[in-house]
Amino acid sequence: MKKPKKSKSARRYSLLDRLAVLRPRLSAFMLDWASWGYVVYGVMYLLNKYWYLRYVNFYGRLTLPAWGWPVVILATFELAMLSHAFGQSIGLNLFGLKLLGSEYAPPRMSQRLRRYVALHLKLFLQPLALFGDRPLGMLLHDGERAGCMFQVAKIKDDLPPEKPRKWYLTYRGLCVAGLLGLTFWLGWKITAINLQMLVDRVGKSGHIWHDLVTPSFTYLTESVNERGHLYSITYYMMETIFMAFFATVSGAIVAFPLSFLGARNIMGFNAVGWLIYTLMRTVFNALRSIESILMAVLFAVWVGFGNPFAGALALFFHTIAALGKLYSEQVEAVDPGPLEAIAATGARRWQVVIYGVIPQIIPSYLAFTLYRWDINIRMATVIALVGGGGIGTLLFYFKNEVGRLDDAWNQVGAVIVAIVIIVWILDYISARVREKIG
Amino acid sequence: MMDDLIRIEHLTKIYERGEVLALNDVSFTVKRGEFLVLLGLSGSGKSTLLRCINRLIEPTAGTIVFDGIDVTRASSRQLRQIRRRMAMIFQQFNLVKRSTVLTNVLSGRLGYVSPAASAIHKFSKQDIDMAMADLDRVGIPEQAYKRADELSGGQQQRVGIARALMQQPDLLMADEPVSALDPATSHSVMQHLETMNREDGVTVIASLHFLSLARRYGTRILALKDGEIVFEGLPTEIDEAKFKEIYGEEAEEVEVR
Repeated sequence: MKKPKKSKSARRYSLLDRLAVLRPRLSAFMLDWASWGYVVYGVMYLLNKYWYLRYVNFYGRLTLPAWGWPVVILATFELAMLSHAFGQSIGLNLFGLKLLGSEYAPPRMSQRLRRYVALHLKLFLQPLALFGDRPLGMLLHDGERAGCMFQVAKIKDDLPPEKPRKWYLTYRGLCVAGLLGLTFWLGWKITAINLQMLVDRVGKSGHIWHDLVTPSFTYLTESVNERGHLYSITYYMMETIFMAFFATVSGAIVAFPLSFLGARNIMGFNAVGWLIYTLMRTVFNALRSIESILMAVLFAVWVGFGNPFAGALALFFHTIAALGKLYSEQVEAVDPGPLEAIAATGARRWQVVIYGVIPQIIPSYLAFTLYRWDINIRMATVIALVGGGGIGTLLFYFKNEVGRLDDAWNQVGAVIVAIVIIVWILDYISARVREKIG
Repeated sequence: MMDDLIRIEHLTKIYERGEVLALNDVSFTVKRGEFLVLLGLSGSGKSTLLRCINRLIEPTAGTIVFDGIDVTRASSRQLRQIRRRMAMIFQQFNLVKRSTVLTNVLSGRLGYVSPAASAIHKFSKQDIDMAMADLDRVGIPEQAYKRADELSGGQQQRVGIARALMQQPDLLMADEPVSALDPATSHSVMQHLETMNREDGVTVIASLHFLSLARRYGTRILALKDGEIVFEGLPTEIDEAKFKEIYGEEAEEVEVR
């Protein structure tokens, strides 16, 4: 709509409407608070590293005296409010809010001061605004005298044009640079990065490097060792490939129908649809956040340590979740035009899915599935670490034989070479196929 | 009245998100066999109006009566039966790009066919013959097995018309059917609509941008501005003053020949 016309009829805003206005503001403030908390933590940690204080312990955790916590929390609150009123806070920027005076002019210093003071009260009084009957956007202390909070998207056309400045001259650019710098510095200290050590101790692993690059392929096809229970690299390689293949194909088959349940545009906007959608997305996210190697721990106990079935199951469940989420997002990204056209012919909702949605998503589904197969092959090579079977079994077997077997590292080298070759080949194939489909 | 195909009373649509009043108390009737042209600027509510008629967009208030049936109160089953009698073509053609032209045309039949057969893309011999006949009628029978996105814009819109023909509709709604096409192709598409209107007796409601096209094809004109009807009458009644009223003071009339 080019020329929106406000409805003149006086509307009463529901609690949900008020919450919708309040939420970005609250989230923005929380974000500011959290980012200042991070800065304060980082600064204290670094102070402790360079000039010894007592407030960071050996493990890098903040240990403040009892009175210290309220002080730090209040200080971060103050900092968040200061940046809210006087700077442009990260939170406001991210949530697309802007503090402006009348006629969308930048707020004057007096307005900023008023807002800063008002913010202190607002934290306690703001919830009351949810129940009052003022029009939206006129929540407490959000008035002419203390500057108003606008959503940039809504007033974009009315804002005076601004000449873009170099990033290092803008508040946002400086904030990002500062946070990145702090993070890098902190990371360097916390992960104990020490380049000197890397150089000094280079000899320690020298012989391993030597053995790894001179792999010994004794067990390439030979199937039994002197103890009578070791299979060949080829055998385990097949196990790995099929483990990944099974997990990907069956995972994709299960994820396919589920993905429609996890798509907003298919489930519609009624309560039942929303419930199923939320449930699906929650399951996907929860399942996806458990790495397949953790699931393999469980399944290895369940179906037997070293059993490839355990690995296949773990990869299967992780694949459902990962593909389910990716698929759902694809369904949400389809062109709505054809769906509208097919619905207009009097088709049922699932007919719209079959004729309108599925043709549109097939290529990306195939691409994602192949990509997942790629990932599963790579996961399958290490899942043996926790007893999931596959080529990794051999890798960790030889690694454990170091000291007993003279050429253990050479054998490890051979396994790694086999993994690299297989991963490379399958990677190449899937890349070609994806190219062809795209 | 029996010769009223559509009666719209006090139709209002408010988009909750942007708090935009898209249609404000619109009332009019469309007679059987009419070729009604909707005029108005972008955002004047033409598309919203058309989509309210088949409830692709739910109206906020008001009634729409189609052939004696209250569309606004129809259950989802009734709505499907109403929708298959009103076909629609779109500015962006809205074809499923990766499907074949034939499948796109056949999808116009989805309201009629048995659900189970359609689930496995199975259509009856009659439907397929009908689809080929409709493609023949719009002049692109040789494109039937091509993918829809291999066709030119004009051809795609003709596929859209063939899909509409498959519905054997009483009403055809065209949402800016020629806005994405060049002038020559525009006329060929408009002529297909005219044929449907004259020969098959399909009532047509088309939103158009060009007054020249509206004068050439329309039997009656309805102009919208900011969601309200500002003109209703014969194409010949639109003069300079009316034109400025619809399109604003700065507008100049552009001819499409």
